[in-house]
Amino acid sequence: MLRNYFKIAFRNLQKNKAFSFINILGLSVGMACCMLILLYVQNEISYDKHHTRAEDMYRVGTTFVTTDQTKNMPYTPAPMAFTLKADFPEVEQATRVFVPFNEDKAIFKLAENGKVSKSFYESKGYMADSTFFDLFSYKFIEGVPHTALNEPNSVVVSEEIAQKLFGNQSALNKIVHIASSNGNIDFKITGVFRPDKLSTIDGRFFMSLSSGEMGAYVRSARNFAFNNMFYTFIRLQPGSNPQALEKKLTAFINKYAGADMKAAGFKKKQFLEAVSDLHLKSEDNGQMAGKGSISYVYLLTSIAIFTLLIACINFMNLSTARSGKRAAEVGIRKVVGAEKAMLISQFLGESLLLSILGLVIASVLVFLFLPVFNQLASTSIHIEVSQHVFTFLGFIALAIITGLIAGSYPAFYLASFQPIKVLKGKFTNTLAAVNLRRGLVIFQFSISIILILASLVVWKQMNYLKDQSLGFKQAQQVVIPLRTKTTKSSYEALKTEIQKNSQVVSAAAAGSYPGIFSARDQNFYTDGKTGAESVNVKLNDVDYNFIETLGFKVISGRPFSKNFAADTNSRIVLNEKAVAAFGYTPENVIGKRLHFDWNNEVFDYEIIGVVKDFHYEGLQQSIGRFGFLLDRNQNYNYMVVNVNTSSMESMLQFMETQWKKFNPEEPFEYTFMDQDFQRNYDTEQRMGTIVSYFTFIAIFISCLGLYGLATFTAEQRIKEIGIRKVLGASITNIVQLLSKDFLKLVLIALLIAGPIAWYAMNEWLQKFAYRIEIQWWMFAIAGCMALLIAFLTVSFQAVKAALINPVKSLKTE
Amino acid sequence: MLLQLNKVFKWYDSKAGRTFILRDVNFDVQEGEFISIMGPSGSGKSTLLHILGMMDEPSEGEYYFIEQPVHKIREKQRSELYKKYIGFVFQAYHLIDELTVYENIETPLLYHGMKSSERQSLVADILDRFHMVGKKDLFPSQLSGGQQQLVGIARAIITKPKLILADEPTGNLNSKQGEEIMDLFKQLNQEGVTIIQVTHSEKNAAYGSRIINLFDGRIEG
Ligand SMILES: Nc1ncnc2c1ncn2[C@@H]1O[C@H](COP(=O)(O)OP(=O)(O)O)[C@@H](O)[C@H]1O
Ligand SMILES: [Mg+2]
Repeated sequence: MLRNYFKIAFRNLQKNKAFSFINILGLSVGMACCMLILLYVQNEISYDKHHTRAEDMYRVGTTFVTTDQTKNMPYTPAPMAFTLKADFPEVEQATRVFVPFNEDKAIFKLAENGKVSKSFYESKGYMADSTFFDLFSYKFIEGVPHTALNEPNSVVVSEEIAQKLFGNQSALNKIVHIASSNGNIDFKITGVFRPDKLSTIDGRFFMSLSSGEMGAYVRSARNFAFNNMFYTFIRLQPGSNPQALEKKLTAFINKYAGADMKAAGFKKKQFLEAVSDLHLKSEDNGQMAGKGSISYVYLLTSIAIFTLLIACINFMNLSTARSGKRAAEVGIRKVVGAEKAMLISQFLGESLLLSILGLVIASVLVFLFLPVFNQLASTSIHIEVSQHVFTFLGFIALAIITGLIAGSYPAFYLASFQPIKVLKGKFTNTLAAVNLRRGLVIFQFSISIILILASLVVWKQMNYLKDQSLGFKQAQQVVIPLRTKTTKSSYEALKTEIQKNSQVVSAAAAGSYPGIFSARDQNFYTDGKTGAESVNVKLNDVDYNFIETLGFKVISGRPFSKNFAADTNSRIVLNEKAVAAFGYTPENVIGKRLHFDWNNEVFDYEIIGVVKDFHYEGLQQSIGRFGFLLDRNQNYNYMVVNVNTSSMESMLQFMETQWKKFNPEEPFEYTFMDQDFQRNYDTEQRMGTIVSYFTFIAIFISCLGLYGLATFTAEQRIKEIGIRKVLGASITNIVQLLSKDFLKLVLIALLIAGPIAWYAMNEWLQKFAYRIEIQWWMFAIAGCMALLIAFLTVSFQAVKAALINPVKSLKTE
Repeated sequence: MLLQLNKVFKWYDSKAGRTFILRDVNFDVQEGEFISIMGPSGSGKSTLLHILGMMDEPSEGEYYFIEQPVHKIREKQRSELYKKYIGFVFQAYHLIDELTVYENIETPLLYHGMKSSERQSLVADILDRFHMVGKKDLFPSQLSGGQQQLVGIARAIITKPKLILADEPTGNLNSKQGEEIMDLFKQLNQEGVTIIQVTHSEKNAAYGSRIINLFDGRIEG
């Protein structure tokens, strides 16, 4: 029986090549999308699931509550981790991780025979307690995890770094010099790991937290209120209740930090986040691995499912439209004794065969397009047979489900034909079937139109973000990171040399610059108020002419100046938002004072200037309170050079030459400020690109289906067309006749898709504090595009039908 | 008695009113008979045959098939009855285009749930008998009309039915081919199969043992 079914299925596939081609192509592309997304989702949810007892691991986060805002952060003060372990028996183990702020890279130097033989920058250097590798599972290829970070000045490096340093030789116990803001230190390599699993704690090298200046600070740190800059991870005893512990932490933090917090005017609460949820669900992972987003996972999953559904609909529509041809077969089979159930299983078998063929082609497509997808989604998924057994089973399940969904309606529809009607030749598609077919076409095009609109809105919003004035000059700004003590101390000399070039407008330095993450802030209060009434202001410690170099607009008072010696000490420049928060106007704020308390001492700042509000973060965030201080220690992290040149190439060469004069052992690296700022939109940009690709695929599959239906209609009406032509109808008349019905469906789809797309995209736009309005012309464009695409698809067949010599078509009847 | 129709009516209702296709048809068939139904086009011959073949139901009246009240029993039993005892032959042959001669003949056996080896020997026997062994791998479109009808008959009799219903089986054939088919029917009838055929040809009708004339839905004479 089965063989008979498969034989007939195969012969049907062969006989109706166009139909088979459309279905198999559509199904395989749809399935390939689903398979890619399945891999992507699996990749996203695999983060931090591999640690031994991952289910008992949590990160301690902090909620800062001031009078006017509440903010969650992943940071805690240094003494938190081990005090938790000491105070709560359910905390079995704890560890701290420190990720340097505003310092993306450290320099590695290898000395041989007293000479530096290798020197290169490495990113993602984390500092961690000796217990780190007790909590987190890393695959060590050299060294012993549990003892690796026991000694100060020990470092565990990734396999890649080890190879860069020592090639194929063992790296264990070798000495490497690492220079960073933490000092210039000789580290002993105590372990080499292979990063074979995905983790939010994505360090490429881990230094003992007891090393260098940070080590000294950590050993002496007792304060629980301030310096919230450490990640605290804990592992609970098996079976303990994290919620219960979380509740006890309020009393805990009040016990250790209550007095200090009260004086400084803020409150803190601690919360726990499961380590395995950090990637997708945490709202902030600080400086660690770029966050995934559960909503994007949902978005991509639904798009993939819809794409496959569109392909299934093609199958349903083409099968039922062509059912006249199959009806005779159904009739005959019933006459010779087939029961309905047998026929249903026959037709389901056919669609399963098709979907399994589709699976084979889809697998090839996935194999071919995985690199492209990885690039688009910035993932590094690779398929390994051993790791993806369940994925493969999932793929097979996907093919079976697809076959059943696509095949069930046609199977029931076809199997219910009455043999007597069919054999009398009275077969016609029932009105219900025709209407359902129309409904499904509308559904397909609704999805396509929604996707077109979504792509359009994302594209417009991204352009808007790019075009928006940021409130400072972002073009022609070269940013040079000052990462090590050496470079920081050579800054003044380097600046002098660089400013000698006539194409350099000005050069300055600062702790951070607009567009990159900065943690620096301070709670201030004004005269006559107390610490309890503080207002939080984000800060940047800058060099004299930083405000001029970036072109911030001073609207009142003055920027810092060397002419005022006192500027070095206690002067501040605020933005408009900050001025307003303190209850002043830009005019009357000049000369007023800000204060904060620290260790029972009061610090004072005089307000000397006000700058116009500017964007220091991506436009997702609205502008907040911001202030500039002069950095009296000149401990800058970045040098910014404003140039005015038509040849950036030679300008950069000039800068490198100057750099080498002062920093011969350190590579010259730079970025452009405008590009750095755009990096805030990477996630959205990436999603926009992926959505537009899917849009293209969805439209393509919808059009395949429409093309199939148009072919069928043209075939069916070939006699009518012949007669009309004999009666004098022009080609245009015929094309109109055949296209009109389909275009009506697309118009209805536009009516349905419009409101849905509007609602969804409006939701998406809420992520941005600064955003476009969705305009009617976007709907017009999406509608016109859909209509045009549909028209081109349908008219191709219509024109072909219209061009057939009527004598021929009438003779075949 | 093989079957019996009692006061069978068939009508269709439409906006224009009720159209009667069969009126008061009474009709007995003994096992082993060879009956020819004749009558002008539109007189209800096919409808009558479909009712006999249980593909259509009378609007009114009784139909007994080997003592079973077909008009009363459930769909499931009816198709069992039909599957077991009746074979159908059509004017337009109605072979499945995508299946070979062999596979077309084999199809009813699949639905009878027969084992592969049994099927093979039955189909081989019939191919042999119809001198079509050499053509077993051809598709219907590669055969002449007469050959296609032979396959149609082979398919109808492979399940060894008691009754063969044939609706103008020679209507699309030339006279020589028609004669062959009629000879075959005669032969089958002699082997004990009851045959009811619709035909327009007096000559073909003469092969049968009894002729029924249908006129405007009524049996005449
Ligand atoms: N489903 C139906 N609805 C209405 N009239 C029908 C239907 N099926 C058949 N008829 C009519 O019944 C009459 C008899 O048809 P049929 O039995 O095929 O005649 P014959 O086979 O003798 O030519 C014809 O006039 C035909 O139009
Ligand atoms: Mg007829």
